[in-house]
Amino acid sequence: MTRIIQGSPVKDILATLRTAKGYFITNTARDQSQSDFKNRILLHTDLMAAENRDKAGYFSLEITGGASIHVDILRKQVDPFQKLRKLREKMPNTMFQTLCRGVNLFGYRPYPQNIIRFTVREFAKYVDVWRTFDFLNYVPNMHAVFEEVGKAGKLNEPCICFSTGPEHSNEYYVAKAGEIIAVTGRDITLCIKNHGGLGTPKRIGELVDALKQKYADVPIHYHGHNTDGNDVGRIVEAVRNGATIVDAADSSFTGFYGPPPVLTVVQTLKEYGYDPVGLDEEAVIATSEVIRDQRRYYEQFESQIKGFQPTVQIHKLPGGAMGSSLEQAAKGGFLDRMPDILHKELPRVQKELGNYWSVTPGSQILWTTAVANVLGGERYGNPSGDLRNLLLGKYGPFPFYRPEEWIYQKVLGDDWREVLEKEGGVDAVADMDMAHERYALAELLGVEPTDEQLILYLQYPNDAVEFFKFSEKYGQVYVLSPSIFFRKGGYAVGEKITFRDHHGKEHMIEVGPSPVNDSGETSVYFNVDHHPSIFNFKAKTAAGKQGEAPILSKEEILDLAKAGDVRSPFSGKIVEITVDEGQEVLIGDRVAIMEAMKMQTPILAEMGGIVTFINAKKGDSLKPGGKILKIDPNE
Amino acid sequence: MKKKILVANRGEIAIRLTRAIQELGYEAIAVYETPDEMSRHIRIADEAILLGDGPRCDYLSIEKIIRAAKKSGACAIHPGYGFLAENPFFAKACENNGIIFIGPTSEIILNLGNKVIARKIMAEAGIPMVPGTQNLKQGREGVAEALSFAAKYGYPIMLKATSGGGGRGIRRIETDAEMQEMIPVARAEALAAFNDDSVFLEKVVINPKHVEVQILADSHGHTVHLGTRDCSIQRRNQKLIEIAPSMINNRPLLDEICDTAVKAAKAANYLNAGTVEFLIDKDQNYYFMEINTRVQVEHTVTEMITGIDIVRNQINIAFGKPLSFTQEDVQIRGHAIEVRINAEDPKNDFMPEGGKKVTVYRSTGGFGVRLDGFVYQGYVIPEVYDSLLVKLTVHGFTWEETVGRLKRCLHNFAIRGPKTTIPFYMNIANEKDFVTGNFDTSYIETHPHIFHYDEDASEAGKLARFIAQVHYSRENPFAK
Repeated sequence: MTRIIQGSPVKDILATLRTAKGYFITNTARDQSQSDFKNRILLHTDLMAAENRDKAGYFSLEITGGASIHVDILRKQVDPFQKLRKLREKMPNTMFQTLCRGVNLFGYRPYPQNIIRFTVREFAKYVDVWRTFDFLNYVPNMHAVFEEVGKAGKLNEPCICFSTGPEHSNEYYVAKAGEIIAVTGRDITLCIKNHGGLGTPKRIGELVDALKQKYADVPIHYHGHNTDGNDVGRIVEAVRNGATIVDAADSSFTGFYGPPPVLTVVQTLKEYGYDPVGLDEEAVIATSEVIRDQRRYYEQFESQIKGFQPTVQIHKLPGGAMGSSLEQAAKGGFLDRMPDILHKELPRVQKELGNYWSVTPGSQILWTTAVANVLGGERYGNPSGDLRNLLLGKYGPFPFYRPEEWIYQKVLGDDWREVLEKEGGVDAVADMDMAHERYALAELLGVEPTDEQLILYLQYPNDAVEFFKFSEKYGQVYVLSPSIFFRKGGYAVGEKITFRDHHGKEHMIEVGPSPVNDSGETSVYFNVDHHPSIFNFKAKTAAGKQGEAPILSKEEILDLAKAGDVRSPFSGKIVEITVDEGQEVLIGDRVAIMEAMKMQTPILAEMGGIVTFINAKKGDSLKPGGKILKIDPNE
Repeated sequence: MKKKILVANRGEIAIRLTRAIQELGYEAIAVYETPDEMSRHIRIADEAILLGDGPRCDYLSIEKIIRAAKKSGACAIHPGYGFLAENPFFAKACENNGIIFIGPTSEIILNLGNKVIARKIMAEAGIPMVPGTQNLKQGREGVAEALSFAAKYGYPIMLKATSGGGGRGIRRIETDAEMQEMIPVARAEALAAFNDDSVFLEKVVINPKHVEVQILADSHGHTVHLGTRDCSIQRRNQKLIEIAPSMINNRPLLDEICDTAVKAAKAANYLNAGTVEFLIDKDQNYYFMEINTRVQVEHTVTEMITGIDIVRNQINIAFGKPLSFTQEDVQIRGHAIEVRINAEDPKNDFMPEGGKKVTVYRSTGGFGVRLDGFVYQGYVIPEVYDSLLVKLTVHGFTWEETVGRLKRCLHNFAIRGPKTTIPFYMNIANEKDFVTGNFDTSYIETHPHIFHYDEDASEAGKLARFIAQVHYSRENPFAK
């Protein structure tokens, strides 16, 4: 048996999978980067690994999608399309795979249909396997993606999100698979998406078996995380019960919350008589050897808590969200409250909110709610906009049961029945006027945007524009090795930095002195390819700038708010100021919406009166205590 | 004693002429104005004569230049382009003083310089022309004439100064009201600029290609052409990029245009080097525009694809020698592109960077590359003359090779101090329509994004800026 080569028609891929003696492996490099390194693995490192990864003979390389597209432009300043093109140059044989959140695409909220289709069409030029899921397993949320992937001639891999608990029975999942197949037909690979790495090997084996009993000709792709250290066990049982493809990653970068090492899976399954189809073990080993040395540059992005977390079976956080959750706890100074949050409040909230699947964006809703419940004192006292939307059914119906009425009342208010009646249900998100958006972007950029630029802009308007401007100013930084990109502490005089630019041209920088003049301006002297260059940096502005207020305690912020001085209660971005100067507000009226860690939170007036001054504007990043606006009492 | 030829010009063309003169074994006499006393054309000449304090007026002084020629014992004068090159009175003065004017006779310059006479000569020879008028009559009668022409051919219409040239004295008219308003304005301007207030009209050919044919005609009755050039990439009728031969994929048409050019030159009894300019519309109809009676800035592209030294031939023709080759000997080989690297800011309406000093100058080289330059490290961009630093001409066997060479060469330049047009040309060299040879005179206005670049940063410079930021911040502030 030989491997599947990129570019093969879907029919042929499925024929190969259905008749395969043995199993296939997907290298989930993207999920490894997201789960254990906050998505910071640079294209530079993936390009180093590319040749061996291509040789290794994987079913696919999962290298885009999930949160990675946002992080690509936000933190790594690499164009997600360019990334795929560059990798394709070095990996002509391997299929590329993405993780798509259905109607939420690669973001956190439902997108209009025309944007979903446009985005899928453009990415499908580079992506061969489309793993698509919905956090409520609500199949209609995936229709548009299925359709566009089919039209593009690429492989659909719909997911059934997996979790544990009394409702999560084989019957439920087999029926869900049927619901999907009724839409897509059988020429798909069906993914069991075990994003938390939940359940035992036995449980996964039974589920695969149940699915295969009913749909023998649909190849199963098992996706898991090694959060509890037991994913190899689950993979083994999945394959023994009929799964055709499993997920693993390069050993030199394996951590705790991502996929387990490829080689361990291979060695274990061999003992059971299963061979990986078309896999070149030497190339698997060589990949890890080539990139091993790079790992030290990414250490800073590893989780604040080291070690496996068998308690994931209790809190159920997905591997992809572990890193960011712990980071938030560390930044917010509540790492010590984590046991309460993870092991008590999260399971409780999960149950109260319908025992749905803890995966994006549902996992963020559970997490934010649990954190607010523990830190805020009153449970469901300060509900996020997204929790409100969840209860209103904006994301889709609850899969098993609805939360109890008191929660609706807390979140939607005393007139919750009325609100639910009036606003409830999945909204048909109106199509966006693409020509108008294109024009708006052209205005911002000063040039006609490409389709790819437009797509990035439609997903992440502010961040995309910032990224385009960054590239304009600083060039294509993906060419820089992590040793340069993540350099800490600056360079010593006389140090030489070499790199090859986007066009393949070698450059050398010799570091000169960096004197500071009387007005505090620093001049950095570099010899760039033997030409002296000077880069000037203005003195860092002192504190006291707008939005950079000294950090206040939660109590102080609340006290100020009660006196009409509305401050930011946390570090976050202003999504919208919902009032105008001169407008009258009552206690409890929403005056602004802020966003932090991808979740929106309304800011409410704690005092009635007239809005007399607005300090912050849309897009501002505020620290806790940053001024938002001022309310003066009515005369 | 060696023959002496006076070079009545400055800048890169003075150097170009001096080289040809010296290669022929003659001596080159430079002239200069005080602001040019440090200039390179003086350094390489065999002798230099100060004309006066200028600026510009002395290079334009027929009397001073004739006096300099006599003083130095020059038997001939080459006027180059610009300044007195197409001034029939200068040619006449040379003739009257027994000095050979390297160019056509004063009569030819006079006739072809007058657009209306030129049109008449061409019409009689059956050369296809854009519909146009004679000189408009003065006053109301002329306006009425103009309006009836507009009624017949429709707008837009070009209102041109009969004695104008080089893009000056031309305006586009869109409505009757504008026509009535602009005729007196154009007359006043023409009078001030060219000492002749005659104006005429021409129908506008919408978004044409600008194709011209290089002609050489000797005094023995031989007239040959050296193929076509495309100068469509223009800004307000000022050429920016010139290529040879034309990219129109219609060999019979180009052959016909070249034959027509020879016919036109013969009809005008043309002598020496000249350029017959045509407009070609979307349906590949071509129209005679004018004959330029000088060596042109873009002559280098023709030299590259034919291997024929136009300036050398100009001098030989002027000395009465027959052309040393026939039409059949002229072979077009490959493609050539010329860009004018100016110390200008394209983003700021091509504002010259006068007064700025070139602190670093590193040029390009290698196979198929020609530089006609004036600049050197330490050169200060003159505020009183043009801002041309160097003309880069690249030659390649195929168009693709030539564009690749252009990109490579632009990339090789390192010029610090003034802003230059290099990044602007770099954008054009990377632009799809240019790369596929698909451009006409609307190119600049229909491709506004070519103005979008970061002037002081090559890719290496940008990345260096990023690394400087990481160095200064002691961490990557964008990766947090």
